[in-house]
Amino acid sequence: MIQTQALFFDGESSKPQSIAVYIDERFEEVVFSLSSIIYKWPVGEISLHIIAGAMEIHHGSEPVQVIKTDDASFISGLKLYMKERGHIGWYQKIIDLGIKAHIAIGLLILGFIIAGYLFVLPKVAEKAVFLIPESYDNEMGSGFYNQFVTFKTIDAEKTEALTLFANQLELANEKDLKFTVIKSDVVNAFALPDGNIIVFTGIIDLMEGYDELAGLLSHEVVHINERHSMKMLCRNLAGYLFLSVALSDVNGVVGIIGDNIHSLQSLSYSRQFEQEADIKGMEILIKNNIDPEGMTRLFQRLQKDYDKLIPEFISSHPVTENRIHYIEKRIKEKQYNEFENEGLKKLFLQVKGLGKHSWDK
Amino acid sequence: MVYLINLKPKNMENINSGSSNFKLSFHGKGGEYFGIVIVNWLLTIITLGIYYPWAKAAQLKYLYGATALNNDRFAFHGTGKEMFKGFIKAILIFIVIFGVLFLFIRLNMPIVGFILFYLCFIAIVPLAIHGSYRYRMSRTSWRGIRFGYRGDKKELIINFFKWFLLTIVTIGIYGAWMAINLRKYVLGKVRFGDMEFKYDGDGGEFFIINLKGYLLSIITLGIYMFWWQSELFAYYIDNLTVNKGEKKITMKSTATGGDFFGLLIVNMLILIFTLGIGYAWVVTRTMNFIANKIELSGDINLDEIKQSEESYADATGEDLTDMLDIDFIF
Repeated sequence: MIQTQALFFDGESSKPQSIAVYIDERFEEVVFSLSSIIYKWPVGEISLHIIAGAMEIHHGSEPVQVIKTDDASFISGLKLYMKERGHIGWYQKIIDLGIKAHIAIGLLILGFIIAGYLFVLPKVAEKAVFLIPESYDNEMGSGFYNQFVTFKTIDAEKTEALTLFANQLELANEKDLKFTVIKSDVVNAFALPDGNIIVFTGIIDLMEGYDELAGLLSHEVVHINERHSMKMLCRNLAGYLFLSVALSDVNGVVGIIGDNIHSLQSLSYSRQFEQEADIKGMEILIKNNIDPEGMTRLFQRLQKDYDKLIPEFISSHPVTENRIHYIEKRIKEKQYNEFENEGLKKLFLQVKGLGKHSWDK
Repeated sequence: MVYLINLKPKNMENINSGSSNFKLSFHGKGGEYFGIVIVNWLLTIITLGIYYPWAKAAQLKYLYGATALNNDRFAFHGTGKEMFKGFIKAILIFIVIFGVLFLFIRLNMPIVGFILFYLCFIAIVPLAIHGSYRYRMSRTSWRGIRFGYRGDKKELIINFFKWFLLTIVTIGIYGAWMAINLRKYVLGKVRFGDMEFKYDGDGGEFFIINLKGYLLSIITLGIYMFWWQSELFAYYIDNLTVNKGEKKITMKSTATGGDFFGLLIVNMLILIFTLGIGYAWVVTRTMNFIANKIELSGDINLDEIKQSEESYADATGEDLTDMLDIDFIF
């Protein structure tokens, strides 16, 4: 018979009372007596709290009455009995599998999380972009543009020249593009999801041929056409949500929306997106009969002139040598014609602030 | 089996102090807790997070059940179902708050919207603290005797706004007083059967500890942080008493900065080298540390505590504190 000496707490006071308790297997009851009252608790109504070597049997709710024992043979006997009668739930069964099984489960989950995060998630998130209306891209982009421009000086003349320059090109754009030249020594240029392309005078000053400028623009246009900003945002968002669910972090979910809007500023595209922009940008150059090597020349110059001080445009982009290599490889595969385009050449000089405006004549 | 009060403290100091006839201890094992954490993790992922309240209940059940006062275990009676209901309510509260904000933006009154939004957000914090204490305390027991929280919701919200305003006006300096006032109020309303908790901290002292800790941590390149931590811990523990009429139990921290150094550095190493899987051992080590570093003494007879606190099943506050990432102080 499963029995032991135990302590009983009646739920009225904390006074321990010694009892002799046994399990009546026929009636499925926990039975004990105290000051001539016999208590019978049906096993279906009790809950076992077996934690780190001690057991408490809880019964009732208002108040909870407790039997406490650390008699190991009683604990294991009662547990086995409860199991046989089907009073042990599936949860406890998994817990009882032991540490080896648990470590295996842990490693398995970790493996799935890493694999899911690295391989499955980016693809799913990018697909999800098609569900987001383009108007959202526009709102996000113009919001950022207005904020950004407030603290910068726009070069109106060069902006106009750059717009004329871009109008001469067939950029395969789906959205209306808007160009802005910012007076700044920073060597950088970037595209916003609403079609705004911002170019710093710092990067223009380094350029020597119009094909380089065309290369830069076609690269940036691909970012817009392919909605790379929104794809990155979806990836970040999905990645964060995925990890927070996987790591059961509920509170993180609340702050995420704000975090992601702010991250737009430091948004740097992944290598994959940069490569896509390079390759598709190069195809745009070829379509416009512009020397596709213009793009590689620009990268080379950026790297050479700033060997020590890495310009921002390079630091957020794939390693330049590697990049030049894959573009060159593709150029060799392609047939292309290039014509010296006098119109573009003239406009390019104006963008650099060297040429004369037509109305000056 | 005869009931015995555990008089076998782990370190010798306790024997010398004589009156320490109470002993906190933690019996949890990392390996056991690991099983619970892992199974919960699996279930939480499979259910896309819905299992979280049940997971939390199971984890609290283990940690409370492994903690003992005079060799009798505490118990957590909360259920996943209660916390899931609370979770849904907490989400609804957030939806309503954001809904109000968007409504006012639609009505072209964004400033009114944002003011209301932030007021609601600030009001949620004391509401969450109140709710979580009521729930957590009423679901915690020892020898079948429930804890309870008797704070007044309105009083706490008004106080909280007052303290918060003072903190803003004083550019954060009042924050030290706010933290202590909050602790004083909340812990002062905690009951354990017919015993009352009382916290006797002072904002000024707390401010000095933090100022000193901050400056010395900078000077020592962060090394002093562990000693700062031990002073904070001592300030929380040493000022806490349990009272029953004239009788009381006092608490004292025996943790040194060196102790904290050992605890936190090893915890960090465990987390790093196990890629976080060792989290369970970090928790059990920490619980064990806390239980062993609190010395209790006093003259209350623990066999004479009377059941006095009512049961309370609404877990909304518990879930709100989770979402707002407020740490439960107790």
